[in-house]
Amino acid sequence: MFFSHSFLDILDGQVTEVEEILSIRNLKKYFTKDGFMRQKETIRAVDDVSLSVKRGQTLVLAGESGSGKTTMARLILGAIEPDSGKIIFDNTEINADTPSLKKIRKECQMIHQDPYASIDPRMKVFDIVREPLDIHSIGKPSERKEIVYDSLRDVKLDPDEVASKYPHMLSGGQRQRVVIARSIATKPKMVIADEPVSMLDVSVRVGILELIKELQDKHGISFLYITHDLSTARYVGHVISILYLGKIVEVGNIGDVLLQPKHPYTQALIDSISEPNPSNLHGEKKIRINNPLDIDVYQGCRFRARCPYAIEKCKQEPSLEQVGNQRSVACFVEIN
Amino acid sequence: MYFIHYLVVTLFVRDLIVQYESGGKAVNAVDGLSFSLEDNESIGIVGESACGKSTLGLAIVRSVPGGRVVSGDIRLDNRSILNMSEEEFASNIRWKKIAMVFQGAMNSLDPVFSIKQQFEEILQVHGYCGDSAKTINDAANSVGLPVSVLDKFPHELSGGMKQRAVIAIALLLRPKLVIADEPTTALDVLVQAQIISMLKKLKKEGMSLVLISHDLGIISEISDKVAIMYAGKIVEFGSMREVYSDPKHPYTQALLKSTPKINGESDLISLKGNPPSLASPPAGCRFYDRCPKAKERCKAEPPVTKTSTGHVSCWLYEESK
Repeated sequence: MFFSHSFLDILDGQVTEVEEILSIRNLKKYFTKDGFMRQKETIRAVDDVSLSVKRGQTLVLAGESGSGKTTMARLILGAIEPDSGKIIFDNTEINADTPSLKKIRKECQMIHQDPYASIDPRMKVFDIVREPLDIHSIGKPSERKEIVYDSLRDVKLDPDEVASKYPHMLSGGQRQRVVIARSIATKPKMVIADEPVSMLDVSVRVGILELIKELQDKHGISFLYITHDLSTARYVGHVISILYLGKIVEVGNIGDVLLQPKHPYTQALIDSISEPNPSNLHGEKKIRINNPLDIDVYQGCRFRARCPYAIEKCKQEPSLEQVGNQRSVACFVEIN
Repeated sequence: MYFIHYLVVTLFVRDLIVQYESGGKAVNAVDGLSFSLEDNESIGIVGESACGKSTLGLAIVRSVPGGRVVSGDIRLDNRSILNMSEEEFASNIRWKKIAMVFQGAMNSLDPVFSIKQQFEEILQVHGYCGDSAKTINDAANSVGLPVSVLDKFPHELSGGMKQRAVIAIALLLRPKLVIADEPTTALDVLVQAQIISMLKKLKKEGMSLVLISHDLGIISEISDKVAIMYAGKIVEFGSMREVYSDPKHPYTQALLKSTPKINGESDLISLKGNPPSLASPPAGCRFYDRCPKAKERCKAEPPVTKTSTGHVSCWLYEESK
């Protein structure tokens, strides 16, 4: 099925209602850590986050390490339980009940960052891709070989060549393709990709990104693409949510957000990108952030300590306000 | 200010071959490299993993673990550093004239010593007899490390601070040339950008850098010259401006077109296949398998052709004789 038309509609400004595959409402997860002298420290890894992924689209979740991106993925797949909030996947609420967990674990798959760590070195490629089929009892055992071969063909690997190989015989790019084949073998409705290209060599990255786009067109898979790299995000994404210390600070269509950031943090992230351009050599590298001051980040705007635009009002917490077509930002200051 | 006393640096590398043993077989990780770096220039060494770029850096400080320089020459200010005795190299060159920031170096700080103690150790080992407190403070200042950090232990510092500390250690004895191997990988994007702008500042003050990276964007911030490495060889060398604006080698062209841009330009090239194994490199052009412009003649060793600021090894530019 093709959903790309509905995406084009949004670009044209005619908002058609596209059904959501994943909808997250007010999700919270706090971790506590015992410090010295029995001081307890609470880390608000995910703090009141709401977002939605539309069918057949790619939502990019971007932020630095520690912003809560991976915690979000683990919450969605039920690897950890949220403190509060709702996760609705394909019209089903995901909670601790077995049927809902079974559903999400079958229909929502994950691609991890490191293809050297995320596949079992002692299993052959065929068994790696077949394992989820066995776990979820998909197809008759006799049909599974065909499903595995189809998945391998989908990721542009030659099944006859790779099926009987072990991971160590493959390159990084090929391994990541095996991981992707495994993730699509169960015909999932959604795939969470956590930095799928950051461990790969530059020359093979584009190939993986193209594959993700192609699988989306061919099978209508929705993607939640987790990354800190805004340039690759731009290449695969439709909508972007910028996460800072567990809070979403800006949401919008990816082109709008990256070309005209409205939150100072988004602006700093874009400033930090160095593109291969000879004029960089004699230019200044300008990043619009301050060095963090020693203040409680959970009071008021969390970015306040590093924000060059901070004003008195920022001691209150800004909420995510709609500022235009499909666009929301949590900031009191207008930076443009 | 701090780097004003820097002398000019000239580095020559000619026909360098560095060999590792692997399963009884000799593997040339660096296979016949030549390039030169003139007064106060910085160079970027670009390539994918396992192309030999780190080995090249290690060879310049004469510390290739498990490998050895088989042939070729490395000259610093017209003196061969490969022919020196280890003692002479250690006491006169290493860390005094050439220092290195190793890959993943922020994990190389010793967890049981404070940052200051680790600085002092370097000074001691090199028999420094000047004002060590001032030297340490100067080095810390030059990388934007607050003096209060010096009394802390590595676990109390963030990744960015540790990376700054490691760079400050390399700068302690005011080397003319600093080799930085992937100095920003594993850091957060904002911190990465801060480290780069710090390296830019050090360069402005007169330091020469050999920057080893796979990231063409970062290289373009710092390097006057660029060497593009593929499978142990330099396939293209020249001024950064020329290589980036008019790439000659098909591999360079592909690398430059393989990074997505923030403005959404979608004209990207993805390369098929993988670099050849260095244990049994193919005869002829090593990029042959993946090259979109490969022809029959590419099965023979490609000629090196002069470009306006450097050279390229590719049959496409064979000079008409």
